[in-house]
Amino acid sequence: MLGLGAVGLATALTGAAFFAPDRSVEAARAYTPSAPSAVVARVPKRDPQEVAERQALAAAPDRVELAVALARADIQRARSLSDPRYLGRAQATLGRWWKLPEPPADVLLLRATIEQSLHDFPAARIDLDHLIALRPDDAQAHLTRAVVATVTADYAAARTSCDALEHLANPLIVEACRAPLDALSGNDAPYRRLERAVADPGTDPSLRLWAQGTLAELAIQRGDEARAAGLLREILAADPDDTYARAALADVLVVQHDPAAASQLLKGHEQIDNLLVRRAIAEHAAHGPEAARLVQAMHDRIAQAAERKDRIHMREEAMFTLAVDGDAQKATELARANWDVQKELADARLLAAAATAAGDRAALEPVLAWARTNAVSDARLARALETR
Amino acid sequence: MKILSILATLVVATATASAHKPSDAHLALHGDGTGLTGRLDIAVRDLDAALQIDDGDGTITWGELQAAAPRIHAYVTSRLSLSGDGTPCSYTLGTAELVDLSDGAYWALPVRASCRPTTLAVTYNLLFDLDAQHRGLVHIDGQTLIVRDATPVTATVGATTSTLAFVKEGIWHIWEGIDHILFLLCLVLPAVFQRRTQRWQAADSLRDVVVEVFETVTAFTLAHSITLVISAVGLVTLPSRFVETAIALSVVAAALNNLLRTIDARWAVAFALGLLHGFGFSSVLIDLGLPSHELIGALLGFNVGVELGQAAIVLVALPVLFLIRRTLAYQALLWAGSASVVLVAGVWSYQRCFI
Repeated sequence: MLGLGAVGLATALTGAAFFAPDRSVEAARAYTPSAPSAVVARVPKRDPQEVAERQALAAAPDRVELAVALARADIQRARSLSDPRYLGRAQATLGRWWKLPEPPADVLLLRATIEQSLHDFPAARIDLDHLIALRPDDAQAHLTRAVVATVTADYAAARTSCDALEHLANPLIVEACRAPLDALSGNDAPYRRLERAVADPGTDPSLRLWAQGTLAELAIQRGDEARAAGLLREILAADPDDTYARAALADVLVVQHDPAAASQLLKGHEQIDNLLVRRAIAEHAAHGPEAARLVQAMHDRIAQAAERKDRIHMREEAMFTLAVDGDAQKATELARANWDVQKELADARLLAAAATAAGDRAALEPVLAWARTNAVSDARLARALETR
Repeated sequence: MKILSILATLVVATATASAHKPSDAHLALHGDGTGLTGRLDIAVRDLDAALQIDDGDGTITWGELQAAAPRIHAYVTSRLSLSGDGTPCSYTLGTAELVDLSDGAYWALPVRASCRPTTLAVTYNLLFDLDAQHRGLVHIDGQTLIVRDATPVTATVGATTSTLAFVKEGIWHIWEGIDHILFLLCLVLPAVFQRRTQRWQAADSLRDVVVEVFETVTAFTLAHSITLVISAVGLVTLPSRFVETAIALSVVAAALNNLLRTIDARWAVAFALGLLHGFGFSSVLIDLGLPSHELIGALLGFNVGVELGQAAIVLVALPVLFLIRRTLAYQALLWAGSASVVLVAGVWSYQRCFI
């Protein structure tokens, strides 16, 4: 019997030696598709005009107007598909001009847009300031500069850019540019003005959707989550691909204690990191059947981003670490590092929630200082700080 | 209902679209006995951007990819180079398969390099001209190097061949080497049939059988461990033709002993002939590029692997033999089996010695 036991043990070990996993990438099992007709990947349909332009650019690599048109198309694609791959392609198309201190103005705008998307806000700001010096009437440059300045909490610069738009853009754009700045301290007037503009039947439909998103943000800030939900649902009804609105509505549903509805809203959109993280959190909170798979998928995504040392998803990682892993300490570290890069209301709320949960007063200090300096009034932030 | 909901979950899970992430490619390499082996994984989407694989309809099929294989290989060869300890290291690309990572299908290309350096430099220049956010992630022996441009990156190879890797090699060596398996089976085959005074009869107790097999296998282990160690450290070395021929002859001898019943003490046969097998194992180990600084771990690992491989075979064979020991099938197996092993191993002996 002893002999049999020893042999059994040996066999078990043999099995273990063979099935022990190797490194992650090598462990991914290679296979051969069964038929040549098997579809392996999908790519956007090739646009003949774009192919022609690429060939023309390859033949004459100095033609900046071609490079700009191609890069713009890829940036557009990155936005509409929420696929960061196209940002890298746009950057490569501009490669010849990318490292120049003073590239042509059109390149400056695209470079700033890409830098902003990669969360390199200081570089984007330098390019935008430079561009505005070259082209003071570039409405897009002022608008992007206002966004970048707001994200980095430079509200004076943001206001200058919104003011500059006065004679360059539609009044609703100017209003939507200024409203978040005016409303930061709880001022009611911008909310009313924006509300009237959105209600005006004469407003251009695509502008209205954009203004509605801003209005929803202001409603959340005032603590009117129900109103925000209504606005965001209208945006999604008009444009189901609006990732921003979908993420914001999911957040509202979670705040309203309905994570199951949030999860349902995000179902099928997991390819986008912003939405995957929210669905994993919602499904986890709702104890849904897909929770385990989604949490695993999110862990995988965090590991993959870490492998290439990407730090552009610190906000999402902090959210996930706090809500799913329940590791307030680590979430605080991440939220704190994220705060050094971007300072939107969402970032402040997150750091406040994580640091409060971790009981880390020192980590809370920068948010408190920022809130004091700018007399910030925000319902969610107040709630996060209340539980101290 | 429960099954239905599980099925529904599975369908949803597979229908979920691939993640959107920046472009990465993975080059995983590890050292083995004679060189470096591994795999280069490139996203199919990225290959399409570089080489226009899609015919324009927005779907890339396996057929389209295979048709593009020569172009893909040429692309890789022109943009990836290796250098070992300062001298260029050539590599060959195998037949590609696919692998599914979180953001879709990747072209999984086996890579085999002929060098086995301590310091490997990788110059990787794929895709950067098309995607400035592309990264080449080079995985070597647990390290991950991030490549952002055509500047070479270097990594240390070789110091980390694990004991576990040698355990695996040991197991495989036993299982792939039909001569060892036959030798072992010849020793185990008669164990369920024992000599009582002057007559042979089926063993009554499983315990007796197990004890006898245990003794036999232990003697074999002990013997080949001794010669494995003394030849691996270079104390005694024998020409491989001699060793291989002798191993084949040992199989003949073991099978012949089943037919002629000359020696009852099979543990003694196992020990004497096991000494020969140890020399064979050590040549395998030396082929694996036995690193001098981790000799102990390698020897131990390989030996443990050999034992595990043997134990697995015995565990499968013994219960079957015990169950059929009183049947005609067992007699047929014992006599006809042993006779055919004598023939087959005899042919091997001739081939190994003279061809």
